[in-house]
Amino acid sequence: MDRQVDARGWTCPKPVIETKKLLESIKEGSVVTIVDNEVAKENVTKLAKSMAYNVDVKEMGGDYYINIYSQEVVKDVLAQPKKLKEMTILFGSDCMGEGSEELGKVLMKGFVYTLTEYTPYPKALLFVNSGVKLTTEGSDVVDYLRQLESEGVEILSCGTCLDYYNLKNKLMVGGITNMYTIVDKMNNAKNTIKL
Amino acid sequence: MKSEEFYVIAFESTHHAIQTEKDLRTKFKIETIPTPREISASCGLSIKFSKDLFTDVTDLLKKDEKKYSVFRVERVGGQRQITKVT
Repeated sequence: MDRQVDARGWTCPKPVIETKKLLESIKEGSVVTIVDNEVAKENVTKLAKSMAYNVDVKEMGGDYYINIYSQEVVKDVLAQPKKLKEMTILFGSDCMGEGSEELGKVLMKGFVYTLTEYTPYPKALLFVNSGVKLTTEGSDVVDYLRQLESEGVEILSCGTCLDYYNLKNKLMVGGITNMYTIVDKMNNAKNTIKL
Repeated sequence: MKSEEFYVIAFESTHHAIQTEKDLRTKFKIETIPTPREISASCGLSIKFSKDLFTDVTDLLKKDEKKYSVFRVERVGGQRQITKVT
């Protein structure tokens, strides 16, 4: 029996929260979440995948029907890449440390470059507030972040922040996320470093 | 095996490094990186540039009176070899 979350007209992160609640309450079967925008579609999809569900998305009349169903295959523990570490880094600014802005930007560039040189890589990099300037047009570290992304590191920028700085259409690397996912990533990491 | 060769300029002063980066980046494709650990005597900031820019960059640096050093970095697999050039 399919269950449904009609999230059209809801603002973020409600579609994700309600979908999560429903997924947690069921033992088997599938859930269909209906959303009316791209960001909600991405966020619900990410949530479902993080809970090890399969996802199919169909677009109808401008709405997205996200079909979430459980995987039959046994999870392969060995498939987990060993080059990632259960660590999350939260970039709260485009500068490293406080003091000179010029120096802070130079240090940040050096930090992200050095991240590409060390394994295991952190599992997720989260960008909030002016940190989103690092993942968007004009950033000096986009190439380094793309390199990390290709190694399996999750690169996530806060949607509220991108919107605030008018950078939503200028994202160059990674995905858009919300506070719900940010808290989730931090809670599930063994170690979170805030920059 | 992944092999790589590039050059870095190491500086004694951070201000010198930042200023040189500003001058060079208008003309060349360069990057500021933390100085590789094998090079000890420096402020910690270096400018990285590719082999093909070697003559152009070092010519330009000759006008600079402040102290700097240029190193060649070669990497074959995980092994990194660093040689002082100037």
